[in-house]
Amino acid sequence: MIDSTPRPMILEDAYADGEDARHFQLRLVDPQATDLAAQPGQFFMLAVPGHGEAPFTYVRAPDAEGRFSALVRRTGQLTEALFELQIGSVLGYRGPLGRGWPHDLTGRHVLVIAGGCGLAPLAGLIDAARDNAARLQVIYGARHPGAQVLARERARWRLDLDYLETCDVASPGERSGSPVAHLDELLGQNIPDAVLCCGPEPLMLASAEHCLKRGVPAVHIWLSLERRMHCGAGLCGHCHIGASYACVDGPTYNYEQYLALTRAAGLYSTAQAIRHC
Amino acid sequence: MLAAHKLDSPERLRAHLAQGREVQEMRADGQGGWHWQNLAAGDGLPFEPPPRPPLTSAKPLFFAEREALFRFDGGTFYGCLPEIEPKVLFGVSACDLRALAYQDQFFAQDEHYQRRRRQTLLVGYDCGHSCAGGFCTAVGGSPLVNQTQADLILRRNGHGGWTLLVASQAGAEAIAALALPQAPEDWTAERDADLAQVRAEQGAQAEITAGIAAIQAASVEPERWEALGLRCLGCSGCTSVCPTCSCYAPLEQREEGGALLHERVWDSCLYTGFQKEASSHNPAATAGQRVQRFWYHKFGTAFAERFGAYGCVGCGRCDVVCPGSIGAHGVMTRISRP
Ligand SMILES: Cc1cc2nc3c(=O)[nH]c(=O)nc-3n(C[C@H](O)[C@H](O)[C@H](O)COP(=O)(O)OP(=O)(O)OC[C@H]3O[C@@H](n4cnc5c(N)ncnc54)[C@H](O)[C@@H]3O)c2cc1C
Ligand code: FES
Repeated sequence: MIDSTPRPMILEDAYADGEDARHFQLRLVDPQATDLAAQPGQFFMLAVPGHGEAPFTYVRAPDAEGRFSALVRRTGQLTEALFELQIGSVLGYRGPLGRGWPHDLTGRHVLVIAGGCGLAPLAGLIDAARDNAARLQVIYGARHPGAQVLARERARWRLDLDYLETCDVASPGERSGSPVAHLDELLGQNIPDAVLCCGPEPLMLASAEHCLKRGVPAVHIWLSLERRMHCGAGLCGHCHIGASYACVDGPTYNYEQYLALTRAAGLYSTAQAIRHC
Repeated sequence: MLAAHKLDSPERLRAHLAQGREVQEMRADGQGGWHWQNLAAGDGLPFEPPPRPPLTSAKPLFFAEREALFRFDGGTFYGCLPEIEPKVLFGVSACDLRALAYQDQFFAQDEHYQRRRRQTLLVGYDCGHSCAGGFCTAVGGSPLVNQTQADLILRRNGHGGWTLLVASQAGAEAIAALALPQAPEDWTAERDADLAQVRAEQGAQAEITAGIAAIQAASVEPERWEALGLRCLGCSGCTSVCPTCSCYAPLEQREEGGALLHERVWDSCLYTGFQKEASSHNPAATAGQRVQRFWYHKFGTAFAERFGAYGCVGCGRCDVVCPGSIGAHGVMTRISRP
């Protein structure tokens, strides 16, 4: 049976990490084997008592002591309350939930495309892939330099990774524009074996289409789709994508799955809807 | 083959089942409404099932409209599970039992739902005529209770009396002490006749069949859905009365004494903000997109395959409540027109 009761965790530390974003260090009071098996791209429901629950991804998955981290952007009620909490506060945890990124990246050429807070679910994957992928390339886009998150991780990656940053509004002399605009330069003549992408949905869809045109098969292009989520168990109905519930079947889908789901369901975009009004 | 008994009166059966169980039955409120009521001990009113599906199905008796999931006392989270006494739902129609079977699958891992379900004996009721607006026979259903979806099945027989069919072990045990006589063998022929009668009364329902085909082929253009969306007031009438709708939202409450309560309440996928994300991105921003999703959920192939049945049982409640006339018939007629 599904257990909808959170387990306690302690807010151990937090630091500012980007515009309106904080990086939270959390500790599960009673970590279990399933927590230690959490995969990059999976998520957990964080309960702030009195303010409800919301989904967040692991930046660093739980270790043997139950310590893990999450990057949270302040967007509304629950995150506002979280930012005000004292160190030592008790929070609730349900996880790990959903499906993470594909595991079979060993020996592959991997391209990671991240936008804004979408870097958070990719951080753990980047750290794993740097050790086992044949080649790892990362491009990270943000609206402007102040909006970039995960400063400490990026500083590390800048030193020893094929890593690029771009901003919609960049500092003079810096790379600017959407990550999609830089993909041809980044890839040259090469076609990656796997593309992993997380960020605003229009960025993910544009990246997927671009990579598809460059010859990456749709099944090797992975997206992490954000949907409103409340139960994380395929029951409350909020996270639907066609006949799929992103909280259990996702949030990562390959592009072929995404296209098949939306086509079978006859889904159409809001832009298409407005055109017909 | 079902065991079939002759029953002198449904009221005697009901009184018998009431021993050690709470009995709930639909009762008229005298103003055109019907409601589930807990019958008082010794209640002897005649069993009179509603002439058409009442707006309240059996859904809220299992998937509560509002219930607590957990409580937080400042240091620990405690699960809140309902304590349920044995009960009987007396006189549930085939369409509502079919919806319940659908929900049984959907909520298979939901302990709140299953606790209620495990404690409930279901007494179904075969319809001899179609209700006004019903179309069970067009969506793979039947006016006759499916024997896998109830414990006992009550039916009026052609001799002015009653037949009781035993559909489960729990049903057999519940009536063993009554030592009912066997029913005359014509009950199967009578059931066949009832089905034929209801099929004839409901007719071909061509717009329903054509609408389902259009949804499954994903061939309805966005402009049609958007035109239907203009008629949707986002009132949640359809999702509340629909016996298979199951969406919910969380609700936080502070109790007297300071503990925090996390509840779930029925929600509606037709509300504007149902899918709105914190980033303000809304994948179902227009009413047309939401109406489209609602009907895809009811008739889409992937859902039908997952549940082995449509998410629509043909009860017609949405047609009754929708102020914009986009219940099942309203929608299916409009999307199936060339
Ligand atoms: C799988 C997954 C992983 C995620 N990972 C991260 C992560 O690592 N880091 C991160 O920062 N974020 C992440 N998010 C997003 C995060 O879950 C949201 O930012 C969070 O839920 C916001 O909660 P809130 O209570 O602060 O905002 P809310 O106050 O709930 O909402 C803010 C906005 O959402 C909309 N909204 C909320 N409730 C309603 C309602 N009832 N009716 C209408 N509109 C409403 C409104 O636009 C509102 O202004 C993730 C989301 C998903 C699905
Ligand atoms: S979050 Fe409730 S169904 Fe996915």
